[in-house]
Amino acid sequence: MTEPAAAESGTLPGPAPGSPESPAAVHQVRRRDPVPLGAGVCVAGVGALVLAAMNGSYLGLTVTTGVCFAIVTVGMVLQLGYSRQLAFSQSVFMGLGAYGMGVLETKYGFSSLESLLAVIGLALVTSLLIGAVVTRAPGLALALATLLMPLFIYQLATYSNWLGSFAGINGVLPLVTGADYTTTLVLSGIVCAVLLGIATAIVFRVIRSGVGLQLMAMAADERLAESLGISLRQRRLEVFVLPSVLAAVGGAAIASVQGIVTPDLLSETSEITLLLMVFVAGRRSIVGAIVGAVVIEYLTTSTSFISTNLGIIEGIALLVILIVEPDGVAGAIDRLLGRRTDQWAAKLRSRVPAGLLARGGSGGA
Amino acid sequence: MSQFLNLLVAGLTSGAIYGIFGACLAVWFRVCNILNLAVGDFAMFGAIGTAWLVQNAGLPFIAGIAVALAGIGLTAWLFDWVVLHQAFDRGRGAHGIVGVFFYTFGLSLVLEGVARAWFGTDAWGAPVIWSGPALSVLDFHVQRAGILVIALAVVSGLALWAYLRFTVSGRAASACGESRFGSRIVGIDSAKFRRRIFIATALLAALFGIVESPLSGYTYASGPAISLIGTVAAGFASFRRPGRAVAIGLTIGVAESMLGGYVSSNYNDVLLYAILFCIIIFRPEVLGLGAEPA
Repeated sequence: MTEPAAAESGTLPGPAPGSPESPAAVHQVRRRDPVPLGAGVCVAGVGALVLAAMNGSYLGLTVTTGVCFAIVTVGMVLQLGYSRQLAFSQSVFMGLGAYGMGVLETKYGFSSLESLLAVIGLALVTSLLIGAVVTRAPGLALALATLLMPLFIYQLATYSNWLGSFAGINGVLPLVTGADYTTTLVLSGIVCAVLLGIATAIVFRVIRSGVGLQLMAMAADERLAESLGISLRQRRLEVFVLPSVLAAVGGAAIASVQGIVTPDLLSETSEITLLLMVFVAGRRSIVGAIVGAVVIEYLTTSTSFISTNLGIIEGIALLVILIVEPDGVAGAIDRLLGRRTDQWAAKLRSRVPAGLLARGGSGGA
Repeated sequence: MSQFLNLLVAGLTSGAIYGIFGACLAVWFRVCNILNLAVGDFAMFGAIGTAWLVQNAGLPFIAGIAVALAGIGLTAWLFDWVVLHQAFDRGRGAHGIVGVFFYTFGLSLVLEGVARAWFGTDAWGAPVIWSGPALSVLDFHVQRAGILVIALAVVSGLALWAYLRFTVSGRAASACGESRFGSRIVGIDSAKFRRRIFIATALLAALFGIVESPLSGYTYASGPAISLIGTVAAGFASFRRPGRAVAIGLTIGVAESMLGGYVSSNYNDVLLYAILFCIIIFRPEVLGLGAEPA
């Protein structure tokens, strides 16, 4: 991980006070880390441009829905990829966000923004309450407990008349309303891209901080992490809460884009789709999770041979990736690029005169 | 009283389904620390495959069962050879908690996709093995297929428990799950046990699907739901005790049936899963899982 991140965690030997590398100076460097903000702006900018270029077409609607799913999968990268916390509750929180928007707007007359803010608050409180008890359970028990959540929440939504039963809630407002359907879709897409950018920036910020280092240590060996003074309980809870809130935001965005919420969003099928989006593309790569969400959403809604046989394709892709490259397509690309870069460096080294390299080396030292 | 007895038998029948799949999951987890999330899909393939072979290919019932079971055994062997052998014997690929869940999850997706492409989206049921009207005593009725299902579950659970507890082979299989490295040192071929028990549990699940399908009918999408409930039953049996998994599966089935009969027929599953969820999060020690596998 990055040097600023390591410095924040207090694992590096500290320099003399007052020196340019004193803790205060390092702290300043950490605060100026431009990567999270830059990544967030890039994601939001590229997403907004792409969706604007699609100009409200059917493909634009599909990509916008994919962007909404990406808000959820970006959180899962932190939870599943970096912390290896296997929880199957994302679809439940996605449903919480979607149904929250639906209920608040159609039954209580809230605006989109008010509903979104209320949903974020609700998801925060709910995930804190659930996380406080769920994260006490060890790895397999946590997975088993969260595996049950989609089962009973889905059935609850299915039989509840207040939540619209099987038909769900219709008439959810778009995040931004334009002059016509096309403008509304484009503007909603841009808002979703901005939300994705914010989610990306937040997750990048966590990963590149000392907390990110602690999460990596926990993922590698919890006992070792605990012996280093890391509060496992607190970190587990944080890792549960942040992705849950992002899942709720993603669900709220999906409901707003589609204008309807159905219990399908809460089902285990939905959870399976989310897991595939993260695993196939790369569970440790934020870019992979975004691209994976958009591509798989496109494949599931396309009418070609692929959408008909999607289960077979997804299953084979998952198995191949688990065996060949557990870090997914993004991991394979990283490795490939790393090798290519090494080859370029080796070529460059062979062309540059030895004396120049030696001078460069001493200068660097 | 008759309502109670009818609910009890209905609960035992559905509980037998949960229990047997829980037992299949538990016995394989005990050997190699992997959850077989495709167990429900093997049952689905057994039921639909047999029905398709009898109805569409014109095979006699027994021949249909034999061909379906042979196909499933071959599929299980192929999966072990192509995927699990690479991942666990050659040390490639993902391990830890990801490996516990996702290899067989991938297989489940493939089987579901193949079933959809091959058999379509209709519901199928294999021919009834023990045909005839429901057995009745006063107001108490029980389907013949239900009796077969409960009997098969109890016999299978007891057989798996006895195999692990009283046979040398069963103890060797358990040793593989305790320590793969240690079992190799003493000459136990862990890969062989993993393969054999995977194939055996796949065949058992398929046989169970064939026996049970006249009661409920199977579609291509029936597998994951069965696997999930089986996973819950196995979880409450520490994922390692097949006999206890059957007992817990039966208890879950009876509880579900009683809640449906006396509390709410719509919300019985909601209440049941909520109760199980609360047990896991407030008393995780009842699972007896301890640390997650390395």
